[in-house]
Amino acid sequence: MSDIFPKWTNKLPAMVGIAAAVLVPTILAGITYYFTPKYTRIGYQPKQPVAFSHAIHAGQLGMDCRYCHSDVDKSWFSNIPSSETCMRCHTAVVKDSPKLALVRDSYATGKPIPWVQIHKTPDYVYFNHSVHVARGISCVKCHGEVQKMDEVFHAQPLSMGFCLECHRQPEKHIRPNELVTQLDWSGEFDGKKAVHDWKVQPGISCSTCHR
Amino acid sequence: MKTIPPICNEPETGPKYWRSLDQLADRPEFRQWMEREFPAGASIAPDGETRRDWMKLMSASFLLAGLGGVASGCRRPEEQLTPFAKQPEGYVHGRAQHFATAMPVRGSAIPLVVKSADGRPVKIEGNALIPEGNGGTDQFAQAALLDLYDPDRAHRHAKNGNDARIEAVRDALAEIAKTSAADQGAGLAFLAGRSSSPSRARLQALVAEKYPKASWHAYEPVDLSIADSAYSQAFGTPVHVVTELSKARRILSLDSDFLGAEAEAYRNIRGFSKGRKSADEAMNRLYVVESLMTLTGGNADHRLRVKPSDVFAVAKGVAAELGAAGGSAAPGPFSAWVKEVAKDLKEAGSSALVVAGYTQPLAVHLLAAAINSALGAVGNTVLLTQPVESPALGITELAAALQAGSVQTLVILGGNPAYTAPADLQFPVLAKKAKSVVRLGYHEDETSALATWNLSSAHFLEAWGDARIADGTVVPVQPLVEPLFGGLSELEVLARILGESKSSPLEVVRDTLKALGAGDESAWKRFLHDGFLTGSAPAAVSANLNAGAVAAGVAAYKPVTGNYEVVITRDASVDDGRFNNNGWLQELPDPITKVTWDNVIQVSQKTAKALGLPVKKVKGQTADQNPVEASEAHDGQYDQPVVRITVAGKSVEGPVWIQPGMAEGTVAVSLGYGRTATGRVGRNVGFDAYPLFNSTSRHLTAGSVEKVPRKFRLAVTQEHGLMEGRPVIREANLDQFKAKPDFATHMDLDAHLPHYVPFKTESDGRNQEKRPQNIYEHPYDQNPSTASKIHQWGMVIDLQSCVGCSACVIACQAENNIPIVGKDQVARGREMLWMRIDRYFSHDPSVDINAEQASEEPQMAMQPMFCQHCEAAPCESVCPVNATVHDEEGVNVMAYNRCIGTRYCANNCPYKVRRFNWFDFNKRETDYGAAQDQHLVNTGNLYKGPLGVNRNAEPEWEIIKLVKNPDVSVRMRGVMEKCNFCVQRIEQGKIAQKIKAGNSGEVAVPDGNIRTACQQACPAEAIVFGNLLDPESEVVKLKKNSRNYSVLGFLDTRPRVTYLARIRNPNPAVAALEKRTTPDTQRDYERFRHENPFEEKSHGHEGQKHAAIEAGKGAA
Repeated sequence: MSDIFPKWTNKLPAMVGIAAAVLVPTILAGITYYFTPKYTRIGYQPKQPVAFSHAIHAGQLGMDCRYCHSDVDKSWFSNIPSSETCMRCHTAVVKDSPKLALVRDSYATGKPIPWVQIHKTPDYVYFNHSVHVARGISCVKCHGEVQKMDEVFHAQPLSMGFCLECHRQPEKHIRPNELVTQLDWSGEFDGKKAVHDWKVQPGISCSTCHR
Repeated sequence: MKTIPPICNEPETGPKYWRSLDQLADRPEFRQWMEREFPAGASIAPDGETRRDWMKLMSASFLLAGLGGVASGCRRPEEQLTPFAKQPEGYVHGRAQHFATAMPVRGSAIPLVVKSADGRPVKIEGNALIPEGNGGTDQFAQAALLDLYDPDRAHRHAKNGNDARIEAVRDALAEIAKTSAADQGAGLAFLAGRSSSPSRARLQALVAEKYPKASWHAYEPVDLSIADSAYSQAFGTPVHVVTELSKARRILSLDSDFLGAEAEAYRNIRGFSKGRKSADEAMNRLYVVESLMTLTGGNADHRLRVKPSDVFAVAKGVAAELGAAGGSAAPGPFSAWVKEVAKDLKEAGSSALVVAGYTQPLAVHLLAAAINSALGAVGNTVLLTQPVESPALGITELAAALQAGSVQTLVILGGNPAYTAPADLQFPVLAKKAKSVVRLGYHEDETSALATWNLSSAHFLEAWGDARIADGTVVPVQPLVEPLFGGLSELEVLARILGESKSSPLEVVRDTLKALGAGDESAWKRFLHDGFLTGSAPAAVSANLNAGAVAAGVAAYKPVTGNYEVVITRDASVDDGRFNNNGWLQELPDPITKVTWDNVIQVSQKTAKALGLPVKKVKGQTADQNPVEASEAHDGQYDQPVVRITVAGKSVEGPVWIQPGMAEGTVAVSLGYGRTATGRVGRNVGFDAYPLFNSTSRHLTAGSVEKVPRKFRLAVTQEHGLMEGRPVIREANLDQFKAKPDFATHMDLDAHLPHYVPFKTESDGRNQEKRPQNIYEHPYDQNPSTASKIHQWGMVIDLQSCVGCSACVIACQAENNIPIVGKDQVARGREMLWMRIDRYFSHDPSVDINAEQASEEPQMAMQPMFCQHCEAAPCESVCPVNATVHDEEGVNVMAYNRCIGTRYCANNCPYKVRRFNWFDFNKRETDYGAAQDQHLVNTGNLYKGPLGVNRNAEPEWEIIKLVKNPDVSVRMRGVMEKCNFCVQRIEQGKIAQKIKAGNSGEVAVPDGNIRTACQQACPAEAIVFGNLLDPESEVVKLKKNSRNYSVLGFLDTRPRVTYLARIRNPNPAVAALEKRTTPDTQRDYERFRHENPFEEKSHGHEGQKHAAIEAGKGAA
């Protein structure tokens, strides 16, 4: 018998057990982390056709988000500004910069700039920007500190869990609704009172987002 | 916090991922794979390699891609956001826009407001701003949207079947203008449909002025303007008749299906139900004399079933009783009925109304005019206005001219005369005698084959135009998109033939409107905004009846004689064939027969027997449970015997449908089917009844009928027509209702439930009365804090108002992206419509249920049925994955992504309102109405799964995707779906209100701001949706109405959708003649249940009730 099973095989069950005890949680942990939006999405930073810096515009210059994303309080979709919006300033400011060649081109020819989408919810999710902005949920909650980003990257997972976290406890995230675009705001605010007074009752059932 | 990766400096081409997959991803093979995988429609293998090499290459690439491939699979494809270079002013991306427009129909129009999502029209609604309008439409207007995106519509202009460029078309039209200008239009003939457009009338007048030798002919196969001719003749001056049903208290219909097939049915329904809603003494009373079972007959308080030719005699009888011109005493069988009806009409005086149907001859219309005049109704319920249409010759004159060879150039504007022209004219043969035929058409169809030039026509949502609605008010036909296939409008073609310098439709319309007083910019803008021009209705005509003309017209008429009277009708789905290629309408069950995808030959049961059709009982069913006794029915598939109808030497064959309520010796067929040259939806669906159509007697004729030894399978959505004594629809006569206003709550087992109240306002809108423990747990009982204290949604359907027109069904389909499934699948009970209109027949219970007479004089009742949004929902508790759950506001919602398709919920639903996606109906092409042989053969693309035709891969199908509502998910195979109260509209309404509220608490949506699609489309305002927590809301007021009840309330599912019982308003004298003092459904109920809701304490013995309470306590 020992020809077939040498002595060390006596320890085989234990070895398998220990290996399994180490490997299985590792694999599970790996899957739970690496296959979730926290890993697959956060940090996604595609190269954009124009090297537009939010850090300069929203950070240094302190422009309001809504100067460019003007429809954010009117529509489910926060619009990407048209080339015309850029050219309102850039006909005067750094008007000959080679970085802006594509913008000038687009403005002249009417051909749109092919920006690469970063933040995207699946098609069966009907997220609405306008209602969040109107009811005191700041841009920074989902998009991160865009005013510090040279090129925008995906800062939050935007997974269903992420949405529900806030929908379940809006008082932790709400702020005065006129301050939603002040991305670096960190004042005192009684969230609980606002939630009560404004009757903030974000739905947590399927129909809130899925139709 | 994760580290922010460095900004990658990558080349501008190729997909970019933030992890370093680029090298792998940039391999040409892999990129080819990527390009193939993601963009829809790219299904062509690269050139230069055989399939085998390609496979080898790919497998190697995949291996190399290895791990990277797995990881990149987790990454979504890169998508681009391409904003405008210059954003149009006022445009907000993602926010729907609405435009006022109108759908032109036969000398009138339906005023509309159309929703445009990012530049494409996605939903048609009625314009509620129109004076007296309520936003209601009909099924055709709702479905017209699908026609816009019909992949089979004419994509091109063609000359002799070859593609032609638009420049060539313009040259050809200019050539006609040149030659016509030279010879004053000699040899030029126009053939067009009826139109109310002021611009077209103007251009038509210009044609007459510029080309005096040209002739203008108008033709509509189903004309619906015979009343205008009759009144014009009777009053001796050209008039247009407008009926005001809302003002009418007593209505007599002489074979007029004014709620279904007649012109302006949506408007008639609006007026009719307005006069009926009150359910008190003020409510109107409808008498119908008819031969076919129609919606109007089904909604009548008294229905007299006569042969079509006998309507004339009845009309004369009524006229005689009222002393009107042309009258003579009614023959014996009708005289008592006629006497009583005439008496009732006389009492109503000027608020009585008599209408005659388009299938009836002019003489009957003349009599109707005379009766109305005698009653004093003209000027009150019947308004005579100046006609808006320009006079034109008919198609018979055109046929004569063609025969004589005097037509060189024939211009056909719209319509499809090769298919629809009366058979005896032989139009297709004659049309070839013209040297050149220029034809403007929406499809390449039967008429295209005759045309030298076949021009693609623009949809009414694609080109500028104008029109007049029923009362003559001018409305804009405003386009929402550029013509998708470069189609031309009627106005443009005419303007070019006229050689006008201003030939664009917009310029034509603006010139016309200038003359009508909307010339300046602000008036024009108001016109477009409101969707109508105030004060543009034509003036009323005051004229006196010329009794001699009526008498002469009546005397001149000879009723048809023959073995069988043949009635040829407009179809409720495809009209005269114009909507033949519209899948929504093809699959819409006929309101009466519930047959989809086909037309049938309707006969009465006695007639069927006389024809020697096999009378075969269906196993386990009695005769009147299944009105199609002569058929073999298996679960929605009816193998019907086929008969041949022969009229004037021409015959057609079609399946027989035994229709309760049909007159004996009468056969009815509907038009619009059996097309040979149309798109893939309508091709070879049904049979063509036009061969029976002849120019002298279009809709009513006589012929012979014989059986044909074959059968034909039909797909029917409702097999069962009887309620079996179950009070699903609760009805009472007005006097019964007055004596016991809460009769509806004293019916069925609900009445025995302890403390049962159908509706009670509580803090969360629920009924919290103590009751026995429910087997289905209420989610809010489980967890009360989940219930919203702001909104709780509910709905009331007023069965008193609903006439069963089915506009809501199509509205729901359009709003909620519901696919069509094809005839084969309908026959298998797999139709996807979320909403159905249940049609019930009931009969005098004293007649034996198996007797022939049982189906002779039925009463009909309609009930819209869809998800009832039960509070204690049976579907929810059986779902293993929580895919169907309650939301905070009482809506029973479906989470499609959770659904795994067990279908337990559908099995457990007592209302049978859940629909399952057996196939990828949005992706795979269905069989449409195919398989015309005896048994439905599965051409079976659906069953081929991935091997079948994938619509999404074919570029031609791209267009059909545009019809989808972007606010609603498109469901895939294996998913359950059902009505969700248009949850997208609820959310949009709430969001709009929250934005308005900002940092205040004004978040409750005002009543009326959220309207479901069905509610919006309903011309009768029978559907009311609203917040149950708002005590002032319309829905709460209606729920408090004593007629309010729940369907199957005894199950204690506590539906959020409740119904208002229907009240009939019979004339006691006529009811005595008919020996029908209680609605049949009630008599049936009493017979089955041995209890009478109109008697006090009818429903129970206190002892039993007490026992029930005890039982409830025990269960708790």
